[in-house]
Amino acid sequence: MAMATETPIKNLIPESDYEKEANRWNNVLKALTEPEPKMGHTPRAEVWRKNKSVLWHYPSKQRKYEIPLFFVYSLFNKPYILDVAPKTSVIEGLTNMGYEVYLLDWGAPGYEDKKIGLDTYIDKYLRTAVKRAIRHSGVNEITLVGYCLGGTIASIYASIADEPIKNLIVATVPIDFQPFIGPDKWAEGLRQGDINIDHFIDVYGNIPPKMVEGMFRAIGAPVYFSNYTMLLARAHDHRYVDKWRRMNKWTLDQVPFAGEAYRQLATELFKENKLVKGELIIGNKKADLKNIEANLFVISGSRDNLVLEEQSKPIMDLVSSEDKTYVVVESGHVGLALSGLFAKIVDQWASSRSNQL
Amino acid sequence: MSDNKTYDPYESFHKLSLLWEKQINDFIFLWTNNKEFVKMTNAGTEFHSRYLETLKKNQEALASVLNLPTKSDVTNVANLTIQTEEKIEALEEQIWELQDSVKSQSKEIESVVEVSKEIIKLTKQLKTELVKTKKELADTKSLHAELQEMKFELLKLNNFKDEFDDLKGLISKERTVEPVLTGTGSAK
Repeated sequence: MAMATETPIKNLIPESDYEKEANRWNNVLKALTEPEPKMGHTPRAEVWRKNKSVLWHYPSKQRKYEIPLFFVYSLFNKPYILDVAPKTSVIEGLTNMGYEVYLLDWGAPGYEDKKIGLDTYIDKYLRTAVKRAIRHSGVNEITLVGYCLGGTIASIYASIADEPIKNLIVATVPIDFQPFIGPDKWAEGLRQGDINIDHFIDVYGNIPPKMVEGMFRAIGAPVYFSNYTMLLARAHDHRYVDKWRRMNKWTLDQVPFAGEAYRQLATELFKENKLVKGELIIGNKKADLKNIEANLFVISGSRDNLVLEEQSKPIMDLVSSEDKTYVVVESGHVGLALSGLFAKIVDQWASSRSNQL
Repeated sequence: MSDNKTYDPYESFHKLSLLWEKQINDFIFLWTNNKEFVKMTNAGTEFHSRYLETLKKNQEALASVLNLPTKSDVTNVANLTIQTEEKIEALEEQIWELQDSVKSQSKEIESVVEVSKEIIKLTKQLKTELVKTKKELADTKSLHAELQEMKFELLKLNNFKDEFDDLKGLISKERTVEPVLTGTGSAK
């Protein structure tokens, strides 16, 4: 009889896996107290430096392709997300596949850089960096790879470039700024002039990193704590904790945004949507996307909650390229780079277009 | 199967947190997604900007009186450095162009040298052939002289043949005259 009364009570109280719990809280403690993980482990060499921008060269393990890849990253974040961790690094993956990789790190603009606009970034930084990369690699052509806003910048540059760009790869790229994922009344307010940021930019010079972060939060999720509960739920897995810490470090590591560039982005691209209309002027040239004749590869993420598919797709009809491909992959905005999946997708398309040695 | 289940409330907690987060964000969205909020934000930003502007102007005025450099002064100096960087960059590009033209010129010179070498080789060949031709010419001359000599000899032989023919004619003439002289004598 005694046995019969004990068993149901025992079944009602769930057992704890003490080892798992020990690991969980140990890893949580580590995540909160240990120094931040080291990023950017792939061997690289500095090719050129101007102001705060640096052009890095990542040599291939064993060169298989003649045409190098030139990465242009967004102005909002730091580009080390492309080399975030061993084995899942996009750059490491591509160098292992036999590509020579160049990366233009825009750097963090200071107060003295408040006058740097998109035209300066493109004409005086990106163009020079591409020239340097071409000379450094000793080839006649290059493949431009733009990620997020870096894709927009790469596309604008490709439309006015005199340099020999053979391939243009853009991922999670905003081209058409009409669709907007954030609150529609905000977009309407900015377009109709109810929000004027000119005075704010003039006073601040650059947009501080905290405000850049706040802007993204406001668009997506103003209150965001589920990442911490997610960490708690999966903290027993040290691999997840490591990945979480890297992602968390990168998300919080914002850079200031140069004032003039922000003004152009908000006014000429977001408000007036000049890139799609072919009315954007860079330097003294019209940045019309129909000038692009390079082979084009566009990648969108189906779970991207920052740049919509409708924002990227219009580039397909706007360029003059004969060889153009559009793919949608099962990924989010950052996940494509964080998982290293981007390297495989780039290789699948670029391998036949990079002059195999 | 139920014996293997362990106590793990964290997954449920995470799911709940996602739900709360979504509810809070949806509430914020509804609260802020209207024209009034947008106008209020703009007014707030404008007020904040004006306040900061005044603060900055006062700072500049004070720093000017105290003869202290401000962030604007540092900016001007930094811009000069960037300008210098750009000039060095332009010079570097010009040096590249010069290097390229020197390279292409030296390549041209190399090709000219190659062509010259070929010409020298050809000239030497021609010279050798000329010497040969001269020698052959001399041989031809001597052959010509010998031929002339032979011709002369042949001429001489021709003359001798003529003379021989004449003699032959004379001899045959003498033979035909002799019987006539003998017959006249016996009739007397």
